Amino acid sequence: MQPIACEGVLSPWEPGVFSLALFTVLVLAFVASQLFIASWLGEKKTTPEKARPYESGIIPTGTARLRYPVPFYLVAIFFLVFDVEGAYIFSWAVACEELGWAGWLQMTFFIGLLLVGLVYIWKNGGLDWGPTSKKE
Amino acid sequence: MGTNQQEGMNERFLDSVDVLVNWARKYSLWPMFFGLSCCFVEEATALTSRYDLARFGAEVLRASPRQADLLIVSGTVFKKIAPVVLRLYEQMAEPKWVISMGSCSNCGGMYDVYSVVQGVDQILPVDVYIPGCPPRPEAVMQGLVMLQEKIAAEERPARSIFHLPGGTQGTQRPLRVDGLTKSRDPRGPGMGGIPIRGSSVVPPKFPDSRTDLMWTSPARRVELNDGDRALADVLKDRFGDAVEPAPQSSDMLTVQVREERLKDVLRFLKTEAAPRYQRLDDLTAVDESARRERDRYPDFSLVYHLLSFEAASKLRIKVPLHGEAPTTRSVTDLWPSANWYEREVFDLFGIRFEGHPNLRRILLPHDWEGHPLRKSYAGRATEMTPYTLEDARKCQPFDGGVYVKQDGGEHRLILNMGPHHVSTHGLLRYVVALEGEEITGLEMDLGYHHRGVEKIGERQSWHQFIPYCARVDYLAGAANDLPYVLAVEALADIRVPERAQVIRVMLSELFRLSNHLVWFATYAHDVGAMTPNFYAFREREMILDIVELITGGRLHPSWFRLGGVAADLPDGWKEAVDQFVNIFPSRLQEYERLIRENPIFKARTMGIGRISLENAMDWGVTGPNLRACGLDWDLRKKMPYSGYENFQFEVPIAEGGDCYARYLVRVEEMRQSLKIIEQAAANMPSGRTMTDDYRYVLPKRTDMLQDIESLIHHFVNVTRGPKIPRGEAYMSCEIPRGEQGYYVVSDGLGAAYRMRIRGPGFANVQVMPQLAVGESIADLIAIIGSVDYILPDIDR
Repeated sequence: MQPIACEGVLSPWEPGVFSLALFTVLVLAFVASQLFIASWLGEKKTTPEKARPYESGIIPTGTARLRYPVPFYLVAIFFLVFDVEGAYIFSWAVACEELGWAGWLQMTFFIGLLLVGLVYIWKNGGLDWGPTSKKE
Repeated sequence: MGTNQQEGMNERFLDSVDVLVNWARKYSLWPMFFGLSCCFVEEATALTSRYDLARFGAEVLRASPRQADLLIVSGTVFKKIAPVVLRLYEQMAEPKWVISMGSCSNCGGMYDVYSVVQGVDQILPVDVYIPGCPPRPEAVMQGLVMLQEKIAAEERPARSIFHLPGGTQGTQRPLRVDGLTKSRDPRGPGMGGIPIRGSSVVPPKFPDSRTDLMWTSPARRVELNDGDRALADVLKDRFGDAVEPAPQSSDMLTVQVREERLKDVLRFLKTEAAPRYQRLDDLTAVDESARRERDRYPDFSLVYHLLSFEAASKLRIKVPLHGEAPTTRSVTDLWPSANWYEREVFDLFGIRFEGHPNLRRILLPHDWEGHPLRKSYAGRATEMTPYTLEDARKCQPFDGGVYVKQDGGEHRLILNMGPHHVSTHGLLRYVVALEGEEITGLEMDLGYHHRGVEKIGERQSWHQFIPYCARVDYLAGAANDLPYVLAVEALADIRVPERAQVIRVMLSELFRLSNHLVWFATYAHDVGAMTPNFYAFREREMILDIVELITGGRLHPSWFRLGGVAADLPDGWKEAVDQFVNIFPSRLQEYERLIRENPIFKARTMGIGRISLENAMDWGVTGPNLRACGLDWDLRKKMPYSGYENFQFEVPIAEGGDCYARYLVRVEEMRQSLKIIEQAAANMPSGRTMTDDYRYVLPKRTDMLQDIESLIHHFVNVTRGPKIPRGEAYMSCEIPRGEQGYYVVSDGLGAAYRMRIRGPGFANVQVMPQLAVGESIADLIAIIGSVDYILPDIDR
């Protein structure tokens, strides 16, 4: 690997940094101009009817800010748990050779534990999705 | 000088921007997926492969008004749906345009009736009117092109875009006001001095009906079979004076029952009698107050038509009721399906039912006044005050919370699906209570498509009513006409020649195929498969070409006549039918295979939306939906009509009663229909296509030109219409969606005294909560599609 030369790396006049900075400014300006043109040229005519939520042409009933049922959370939590663990496994996989057998053993234990967890939620019905009639 | 030059340059700049913006806009119109009735079928057809509206830069109907800038008002604008139409228009993005498609939307069209707005331009500004009933897909394209021309020629959007004063864009036309900028008068403006055509024969006041002077033979009289006679005796023994079998009938055993014993009689017939009459086929009422011989009739008659699966027979129970607003007992505990029927009778006649769980209006808006099917009620919209923008703002549909009880779950979501929704296949409003994704409650609000066709039937002459039949189920075309003409023919004892019968069968089956193809395409689309749309509509166009060749019409041929059909088959019909019969099986095989074994399709439909056979029979479910529960019941086999007994075909059935079973039944029905068409074409008998007894019918044109008697019959039957003998007849046929029945009552006049239509959809949709509660919201789409209903035959 090449050692990185630290000298002047953050100077705005360094060719790489300068083009990056310029590019960033151009992008921001472009985006800003697009947003401005769209909002300036676009039609804005609000009426109470238009501001109302669309629900098949009927005035909606009640609020949409209800307590969400638990299954939605469960799915989200399971996803997070297994997704974050994926991050550990990947980082282990990158350094697999350096970590050697000890690392492998630890990872096997970790994955095994994950699988136990997966079986546990599976058995407990945490992965069942759909109406209650289907779950029974 | 400087300022003038500057202004000139500004103007030139703005003009060029106008041209540029208009060019961009006219080729990128986004129509909304919004249909009201028949016209929408032709509008949707304009998108399919043969017509390909995308060539004109307007493609893919947008499901939400937020994404759309073109509202094509396709179909009848009902007073109940008008507030919704207005809201959708107001929720659309600016600038926006409106095309009014079809006679109904333009001016009310054929439906000058209490429930219909006589022209959408009374509540919305309209850019382009497309005439026709319904306009063909080509006319939709023409309308679109006209709108594009209007955008390019008339609109100056640049000033508005640059926040300058002046300029125009979008719809600018003013609303039309009756009496000032439009005339709703059916006679045309300035003709107020003459009576409205036909009004002299319309109840309640019909002083000089010339039909009183005409003579007819009495109504047909049928010999009852042994089973019916035995049943009449049993009823007489058991209930004594409370029942009174009618001495004669034109179609089936008719028993008059006193109101006090009605429920006992019905319970006996349903559970104990031999044969048992398990199904309440139809329940309706007749307002007898405008009868010619008033003293022979009560104030109202309730009419129950029962059907026995065991004996394949029907039975009519009539219950006389007295008083201005009589009350009787509900039979919802005997037949759960009576629920909606009784509500309908209450809504339209004002008869109350004690013990009914939920007796309120069903078809008309909750704030409606009066009961339209009473004889004292004026039927025409043009006799009422015009429907205006203020009405559309004021008369809102009920809040969803009124329909679905929220007990036990304040955290339930109440969701309105429909009346404007891509997947409700028409103007039907489902109010769904949801717990997460699970449906915990489902109620339906109907009547958004109530066209008052039963009221119209009481003022149109017997021939004039035929065009209304096809519009009762606009995808089944001529198949709808059949039960109506058969009922009148049964009543007046008109014999139909064999050739006409076979032609009728052939056309009915062609329409069954056409209907099932549309269903197949849209159902596959409902559960996520886009491709079948493009193929199924291609074959459907072949069918419509044949229909057009024979009848001259597409969706609504109005081609059956009392006593036969309108004309003989044209040259070249055989080749067209043969070609279709040869091509179709392999085509169907080709794309049906994509769906049948498709794992996604199976996962979406198998085990979803189940109904048991007992429930289906109890609730009056008919047609493919009933056969998907495993019952071999098809009127074409069990109670053959129009010569169906001479055809070789099978009645497909399936087990399970779920969405997949309903799919299997319909697809197999297509194959069987094709067999019938093939046989009809191969064995088409020769001979007349119109009966030679011209008393009630429209004589053949060649005869009319040659002999004076035919000429007289032609003149009378075309102008004032024939007089049909006093009596009543009920006839039901297996149309594509199930059993459609017509109960025609004649008081010996030139129009029906009562025209009752039993639509299959009314009963089929009433069971929806049984199919859907407990399933997830996504499955509701699959279930709705699998039931295959159509709104005009639910709401009529």
